[in-house]
Amino acid sequence: MRRILSSITDGKGFDLVLVGVTMIFLLALAGLPLVYNVLLSFQEVDMFNLAAFQRPWAGLENYREVISQPEFGLVMKNTGIFVFGSIAGQFVLGFALAIFFMVKFPFASTIRGVFLVSWVMPGLVVGAIWGLILAGDYGVLNAILQSLGIIDGTVFWKSDPRLSIWAVTIANIWLGLAFNMMLLSVGLAAIPRDLYEAAELDGANGLQRFATITVPMMRSTIGAVLALGLIYTLQQFDLFPAITEGGPANSSTVAQYWAWQWSFRIFDFAKGATVSVMMLIFVLVASIVYVWSTRAEVRG
Amino acid sequence: MTPQIEISHVEKHYGAFHALKDIDLTIPKGSFVALVGPSGCGKSTLLRSIAGLESITSGDLRIAGERMNEMPPRKRDVAMVFQSYALYPHMNVLGNLTYSLRFKGVAKADAREKANRVASTIGLEKLLDRYPRELSGGQRQRVAMGRAIIREPKAFLFDEPLSNLDAALRVHMRMEVRALHDRLGATSVYVTHDQIEAMTMADHVVVMRDGRIEQQGSPLTLYDTPANRFVAGFIGSPAMNFVDGHGSEDGHSVRLDALPGAPVLPLDRRVEPGRPVVAGLRPEHLFSGGETQFSVPIRVVESTGSIAYYTTDTDPELMLVEQGRGKLRSGDSAALSIAPGDIHLFDPMTGLAL
Ligand SMILES: Nc1ncnc2c1ncn2[C@@H]1O[C@H](COP(=O)(O)OP(=O)(O)OP(=O)(O)O)[C@@H](O)[C@H]1O
Ligand SMILES: [Mg+2]
Repeated sequence: MRRILSSITDGKGFDLVLVGVTMIFLLALAGLPLVYNVLLSFQEVDMFNLAAFQRPWAGLENYREVISQPEFGLVMKNTGIFVFGSIAGQFVLGFALAIFFMVKFPFASTIRGVFLVSWVMPGLVVGAIWGLILAGDYGVLNAILQSLGIIDGTVFWKSDPRLSIWAVTIANIWLGLAFNMMLLSVGLAAIPRDLYEAAELDGANGLQRFATITVPMMRSTIGAVLALGLIYTLQQFDLFPAITEGGPANSSTVAQYWAWQWSFRIFDFAKGATVSVMMLIFVLVASIVYVWSTRAEVRG
Repeated sequence: MTPQIEISHVEKHYGAFHALKDIDLTIPKGSFVALVGPSGCGKSTLLRSIAGLESITSGDLRIAGERMNEMPPRKRDVAMVFQSYALYPHMNVLGNLTYSLRFKGVAKADAREKANRVASTIGLEKLLDRYPRELSGGQRQRVAMGRAIIREPKAFLFDEPLSNLDAALRVHMRMEVRALHDRLGATSVYVTHDQIEAMTMADHVVVMRDGRIEQQGSPLTLYDTPANRFVAGFIGSPAMNFVDGHGSEDGHSVRLDALPGAPVLPLDRRVEPGRPVVAGLRPEHLFSGGETQFSVPIRVVESTGSIAYYTTDTDPELMLVEQGRGKLRSGDSAALSIAPGDIHLFDPMTGLAL
C-alpha cells in the first residue's frame, strides 16, 4: 500500500493517474456520445422510442434516404465551398498577416493583439455583425463597394442563392483569421534569423527564401493549421442561424446545419445522426493528416 | 597588391548607439585579416556591414573596386561562416553545399560534381546524405566552410567560427582554415575574441575597442610596438604587466615606484626625467637571463610541466612566465631582469605609447 501511494506521489503512478483521468473523461464525454451517434444512424428512431436504447435495426436505410434527398447534392456542394473557401481564405490571409507582423514596426504586437478579437468573440455575435455588414439595403459592404465603384447596384449577399454560401464563408474566414495568423506567427518566429541571412548571402531573393526556407521549415505548422482549420470549419454552426439560416432554398445549407435541421426541426434524429456520421469521416481524414504532420515535431 | 575590400570612414549607428566609429581598413587580395577585440566592440557589426547584413550609416565600402554601400547581400558575392553555422536543417549536407548554386543556374549534375570536389577537400565525402542534426559540432563547422568554399566568393567572412569547438579541435581547425585560405588564394576576414587565434592565423590583425580601430598591423608589429596600453594589454598571453613609475634623473632609465625597492631599469631611449609613466613588462621577458635588476616574492605557482606561471606578492601583482617545470616555489624570491628594448612605456593619462 505504501509503495503504491509513494509511486502516486512521486513515481510513474502519478503519470498514470493523470493520463487515466483524462482518458476516462474523454471516453465518457466524447467516446460514448460518438458511439451512440453511430448507433443511432443505423436504427429507426421516432418520438416514441426516443428514450429507449433498444430500437428497430434499420441497416443502411437511413443512409440511402439521406443520399436520395433532392437537396443532398446541393448541401454537399455548399459544404465543399464553405470548407475549402474558408480554409483557403483563412490560411492565405493569415499567412500574409503573420509575415506582415514579423516586420518590426511601432505597435506591431499591439495591433496583432487586436486581431485576436475575432477569436474571442462568440460565433453568434460575429454572425450578427456580419449579417449587418452583408445586408442588402443598408449593409456596410455594399456601401464600400459602391463608393469604390466596384459594383453599381445593390448586391443581396444573404438572399441571392448564388451568393449566400459565400456570405457565410466570408464571415467564417474573418472568424478563423486570428487563429491561423497566431499559429503561423509562432511557426515563423521559430525559424532562426541567421538561416535567412545565410540564404540571402547564398544568393536567394525574397521569394526564393520563402520557398526554400520558410515553407519547408513550416511544414508541420502548415499541416497542423490546415487540419485544425478543416475541423473548426466543419464544426462551425453559429454563423448559419445568425446570417442566412441556410437559405434561401437551402442555397447556404451545409452538412452540419443540415444535420441540425434533421434532428431539431424535423425531429428525425436518425437522419441527423446519419449526416453527422458522414461528416465524421471527413474529420477523421483531417485528423489523420494533422497527426501525420505533427509527427515530425518530436524529432529535433 | 590590389585591395579586395576597402572600408573608408565607415560609421554605424544603432539609433543613438554609435557602434562603428570612423573605420578605415584596406584588405589586399589574398590576405587573411583578423578582427579582434573585447566583447561588444563591434567586430561582428563590422563584418556584417561588409556582408551587407547591416547597413552602414556613412562612409564607403568597396569590394573588388565596386561601391557596395546600397548593394543587397545576395549581390555582394561574399560568403560568411556563422558562429552558429546556420546550416539549413531541412536539407542534407549535399543540399546545404549546393544551395547557392541553385540560384546561379548551375545544372544539377555539375552542382553534385562540384559538391563532391569540395566535400573531398574538407573531408565530408562520407557525410553528404546526412542532415545537420546528425553531425558532430566539428562536422557541422566543416559543412559551413564547404558551403562558403563552393561559391568561390570574392571574400570569406568568418564570425568566430571555431568558438563552439573544444580546445584541441580548435587548434587543429585553426591550421586547417589557414591552409585552406592559402590553397584557395582567398581573401578572408576573420572575427575572433581570441587573440591567439588572431595572432597565429592572420597576416594582418585589427584590434578594436568601443567601435574604433585601436591599431592594425602584422601580428608581430602589434606585439613588439603596441600603439597604446589597451593594445599592449590585449595582445600577448599572459597579458602584459603594467607598473607605475617615472623617468629617472639620467633620462635613460625608468624608476618603478610601485615595486619593492623601487628598482631603476635602463632604457634604450630617452625619457624626460621625473615624467610619470606606466611601464609595460611582458611576463615572458622578465627572466631575460641578464644580471639581476630586482627581486619580487612569489605568491602563487601554476605549472603545466612545459611552462610555469608565477603570480607575485606585490601591488600591483606581476605575472611571470618561465619555460620548463619551474624552479621557484611559493614564498621564494624571483630574481628578475629585462632587456632595455623590451620595456614599453605609456603615458598614464592618454595610455599612448611613448
Ligand atoms: N541590432 C542592434 N541594435 C542595437 N545595438 C546593437 C545591435 N547589434 C549590436 N549592437 C551593439 O553594438 C555593439 C557591437 O556589437 P557586436 O555584435 O558587433 O559586438 P562584437 O564585437 O561582435 O562582440 P562579441 O565578441 O560579443 O560577439 C554592442 O554594444 C551591441 O550591443
Ligand atoms: Mg560578435
